[in-house]
Amino acid sequence: MFNERILNRFTNPKYAGGLRGANGTGRSEDPARGDIIKIYISVNDENVITDAKFKAYGGVCTIAACDVACYLIEGRSLEAALRTNFYQIKEELGSLPEDRDYAALLAEEAIKNAVEDFYKKKEKDLKSKR
Amino acid sequence: MSKKVYFDYASTTYVSNEVLNEMLPCFNAVYGNANSLHGYGREASNIVDRARDRIKNAIGAQKSNEIYFTSGGTEANNWAIRGIAHAYSEKGKHIIVSKIEHKSVLDACACLEEEGYEVSYLNVDKHGLVNMGELLHLIRKDTILVSIMTVNNEIGTIQNVKAIAKICHDYGVIFHTDASQAVGAVRINVQDMEIDAMTITAHKVYGPKGVGALYLKDGLRIENLIYGGSQERGKRGGTVNVPEIAGFGKAVEIANRDIVVNQQKLKNVREYFLRNVTERIDYVIVNGHPLQKVNGILNLCFEMVDKESLLMLLDIEGVAVSTGSACTANSPLQSHVLKAIGLTDEFANSSIRFSFGKNTTKADLDFAIDALVKCVERLRSISAITKAGRK
Repeated sequence: MFNERILNRFTNPKYAGGLRGANGTGRSEDPARGDIIKIYISVNDENVITDAKFKAYGGVCTIAACDVACYLIEGRSLEAALRTNFYQIKEELGSLPEDRDYAALLAEEAIKNAVEDFYKKKEKDLKSKR
Repeated sequence: MSKKVYFDYASTTYVSNEVLNEMLPCFNAVYGNANSLHGYGREASNIVDRARDRIKNAIGAQKSNEIYFTSGGTEANNWAIRGIAHAYSEKGKHIIVSKIEHKSVLDACACLEEEGYEVSYLNVDKHGLVNMGELLHLIRKDTILVSIMTVNNEIGTIQNVKAIAKICHDYGVIFHTDASQAVGAVRINVQDMEIDAMTITAHKVYGPKGVGALYLKDGLRIENLIYGGSQERGKRGGTVNVPEIAGFGKAVEIANRDIVVNQQKLKNVREYFLRNVTERIDYVIVNGHPLQKVNGILNLCFEMVDKESLLMLLDIEGVAVSTGSACTANSPLQSHVLKAIGLTDEFANSSIRFSFGKNTTKADLDFAIDALVKCVERLRSISAITKAGRK
């Protein structure tokens, strides 16, 4: 039912767990299936994501999609991260069963939310410094 | 080879040696068509008759010709629902089923709804027992059939079948029960329990896959589901599946013979497993009835853990379990049974079914418990839901 790539990502996720010192957190949720994911990013002064991690409550594809999402954004600029989409995540996973497409969508949404969260926090910081 | 254990006996079992030995001669020694008039045919027909007698005796039917062989439980359920509904449509077009029936009953009902029948879906309580008061309330003048499963396949709850049948008969309604999970787990006597129609299947009791039966009380009418021959007294066409029927008869006979000893074994297995799991893992909930349950099925909710991920990790560790019904296992959506007993989406999404076999050993259990502890800990460590976060 699941291909090798998905199973490898699921059994040995490299990016699973929390991230100490994360300055951006993105959450997304699929209410129909109950899946919840969180992507944590650590961004440096050059707006580059130096670390990415995830936590997920969800099925095999959801965990695999989160792992791929973190892999795709780590070491990249925030702009590049924002461009990371559903199709790239799907491609990296090989193929997703049709009824699991939502896993890649959730991951895309969480990335966007994490970047947005980072910008919001930064803005808040700047305001408080002023 | 690394160790593997199978805890999915409610999906299907292996074929026991006793059953296999009963079947093997029917493949190449007694190969006649049971419908043929010659000696080869009569020999095959005798084997089928013996199987029918064995099943008749095991379920307490009055006559052997009340047993109709089918291709399995799904066909028998489809046939019972559709066939009885069609045969009695002049009396009415209203049917009542519980919300926790197997898909083969629910989908057959959905089909009837498209044909203009009306189906009422009976609620169950948090343990999975149907609400008798509501049943009484739902029965109308045009109600022709009530179908409620004897044992639920996901949570193992045993219904008060006899009481339900009595209510139905008080109002002149036909009562069908899907007893696919009940054979070998619960003593069944169709006459004593006043069952009019009953579905049974072979592959849950160490018999072969692809064979089942519908018990239909003498005198009841049913419209054919499959046309095409005089087999099964003209009610179900198709060359008689002699080897599987032979195995089915033997399997049901053995299941009935060994019911007490098997249930005692399974009770010990279930208790040992549950005790150890709850001692070693926090936040575990048992789904189903605390007392009125079969011992072979244990449905557990591991909070904060997704069922599919847990199933796959356990599989990698060598432990085969199920997320509920195998007939709906590929779906990422929630189980209709767990929803009906009132579980929140999150808890339903975190529940998996362990089902044990008559030869499950303590070593199997210990192996699975260790694997379970490891997998649950791992998934909880990366879960986006935390106990603290929820409160």
